[in-house]
Amino acid sequence: MQHPDRFDPLDPATQPVVPIPGYPNTQRRNPARAPFRRVLTRTELTGPLDLSQKLRPGDDNLAMLAPGRAAQGQLIHVGGRVLDEDGRPVAGAIVELWQANAGGRYFHPIDQRDAPLDPNFIGNGRTRSDAQGRYGFFTIKPGAYPVPDSGRWWRPPHIHISVLGPGSLMRLVTQMYFPGDPLNGLDRILNSVPDLAARARCIAASVLPTEIAGDWLGYTHDLVLRGRHATPPL
Amino acid sequence: MSRPNAPLVPTAWATIGPFFPNTFFREGDNDLTRMAPDAPPTAQGAPMWLTGRVLQEGGGPCVNAVLEAWQADAAGRFRHPRDPDWQQADPGFHGWGRAWTDAEGRFAFRTIIPGAYRDATGPRAPHINLAIIGSGIMGRLATTIFLPAFAEANAADPVLASLPEALRPLLVAQPDGLAEDGAPRFSLDLLLRGDAATETPFFED
Ligand SMILES: [Fe+2]
Repeated sequence: MQHPDRFDPLDPATQPVVPIPGYPNTQRRNPARAPFRRVLTRTELTGPLDLSQKLRPGDDNLAMLAPGRAAQGQLIHVGGRVLDEDGRPVAGAIVELWQANAGGRYFHPIDQRDAPLDPNFIGNGRTRSDAQGRYGFFTIKPGAYPVPDSGRWWRPPHIHISVLGPGSLMRLVTQMYFPGDPLNGLDRILNSVPDLAARARCIAASVLPTEIAGDWLGYTHDLVLRGRHATPPL
Repeated sequence: MSRPNAPLVPTAWATIGPFFPNTFFREGDNDLTRMAPDAPPTAQGAPMWLTGRVLQEGGGPCVNAVLEAWQADAAGRFRHPRDPDWQQADPGFHGWGRAWTDAEGRFAFRTIIPGAYRDATGPRAPHINLAIIGSGIMGRLATTIFLPAFAEANAADPVLASLPEALRPLLVAQPDGLAEDGAPRFSLDLLLRGDAATETPFFED
């Protein structure tokens, strides 16, 4: 496999701007000082080639905790490709996913909101992209939830995704949204990305029901990691 | 020459939020000397611990932050094709680990003392790359940690030297006794936001 060797700076318009009103940790936890420039060399260009021994995949069905233990909610499949900036598939990337249950509550000790927990839903999984860069999860559509003490800000249904490609600079943590949700336009995290096209790319595409067999409503969502190839293939 | 596809724009980052699953962590994830969390340590070199706290504005602990570490092996090689000597890299050294902070903001990595090497920028002092992600952090906060025993190499390191002199000590971990396994511990605090003299220097990726 070829590894990207060119990492152009991210276009700031395509990345979130902090602080975010109603989210105090975006103030407390982001440096006041601009980051220092450094030349990118092998220590930044490299990274673990294969993390599957450390971060074990094989946990790509969140909707079925055990046989006969289906989670509450709309059964969905979320899948797509992990690509680099040249559109080449990133094979062997670790993709981690976590989300709220259908009632908008996380299975997490610090989510003490007054919404129901689902005994059949934990809400996290991990998989590995295949040779074509494809990844996929079976899950349920998460519910919306209000952000405490934020002045009536509700998070739209969203899925958290973390991707570890074969290089530290390819690291991505993002959130995926659902098309057509009225809360998307009001969400302060999604709207913290200035560029409208970059924002729109955080919203998954519906797979038309005519193209789907089985019980899972489909969404496709490609993930683009940083990295280009200075020498394009012939 | 043409590209196989039109260039794509990298996906927008977002915070991990407050609910990054603690079930993603397994004991041993923070040990760079193991090839798998439940495998025995197999790396060549002198074991060490890198420990410290992640602090937020005001100096309070940054709870549930996730730290990811990456470093060269004891001979200064990375097992990755972007290192010209990668095929000689220690096959028993993983080089990557993940830790998360407790209620006091504390983290710990077990690793080996990284080797020095030379790259296009010049002689590189032994160092450990750290990236911090957490609730409210909307990207990767990337920095590089150096060790006090290599004062001469640190002084010549082009990345450390790119910082104003007064800030360089903020990236040098300090000796902090021995860990339970007898390996030396080096420690430092990472202040995500503070005044110009104490905020940890971070680097553009
Ligand atoms: Fe969330």
